[in-house]
Amino acid sequence: MKKLTQHVNDLFKDVPESEKKTIIVQEVLQNLEEKVWDLMEQGKEEEDAINKAIVDFGDIEELKKELGVTAQSTDEHSKKLKNSKLNLEYSIWGSLLLIGLFVFINFYYSPQVIWFVYPTFGVLWWPLSMYYRYSGLKRGA
Amino acid sequence: MIRSDIIRGHLDSIILRLIVEKDRYGYEISKEISQRTDERFQIKEATLYAVFQRLEKKELIESYFGNKSKGGKRKYYRITTLGKAYFRETVEEWKEMKDIIDIFMEGFN
Repeated sequence: MKKLTQHVNDLFKDVPESEKKTIIVQEVLQNLEEKVWDLMEQGKEEEDAINKAIVDFGDIEELKKELGVTAQSTDEHSKKLKNSKLNLEYSIWGSLLLIGLFVFINFYYSPQVIWFVYPTFGVLWWPLSMYYRYSGLKRGA
Repeated sequence: MIRSDIIRGHLDSIILRLIVEKDRYGYEISKEISQRTDERFQIKEATLYAVFQRLEKKELIESYFGNKSKGGKRKYYRITTLGKAYFRETVEEWKEMKDIIDIFMEGFN
């Protein structure tokens, strides 16, 4: 049975350690042991039974995907989210400065015509688009 | 033995069906599948655990530990209400699909 334990540990060695992994490894091992006993009851030698159980087990790529890669992708996602939050903040401050500049020029040089509203609308596209990107990523989490 | 990529999309349903009948654990399920199909289809255990993970994430099944047997504790799976409803729907869908595919496959030699 030691060989079985070793094989299962080998299979799962790329999966990052977690409580979930421990539980699955235990489950897999328990079921494999039961299979080995079953095969031995049918008259197989222990060695053969263990080998058959290992061969029948198959390729764990799919299982790895269910376990490990998802954890990695959430990590990537949170990085993206942080980045887009930074972009959003930058765009808000940037557009406030720009709008402030327009207001200043407007009232300092030509207080009789209120025109700063027009470029303000143009500038607002910037934080608006950043906001949509940010909220889209947030919802996808 | 049937090509596994063809049956792949229906593995969830096959396993759900077995768990609908009664609570079962991993090895029991793989053995049951081989027996019922007369060894014409055998599920790889690795695939089986991936399906368990997926179904549990979707809350179609849930797991609990049974009594200690030889070796360790068995991890049993039971169906949830959502799982039952989902399976019922899958059966309807399958019937519909079978009818449609049969239109094109039947009667050709």
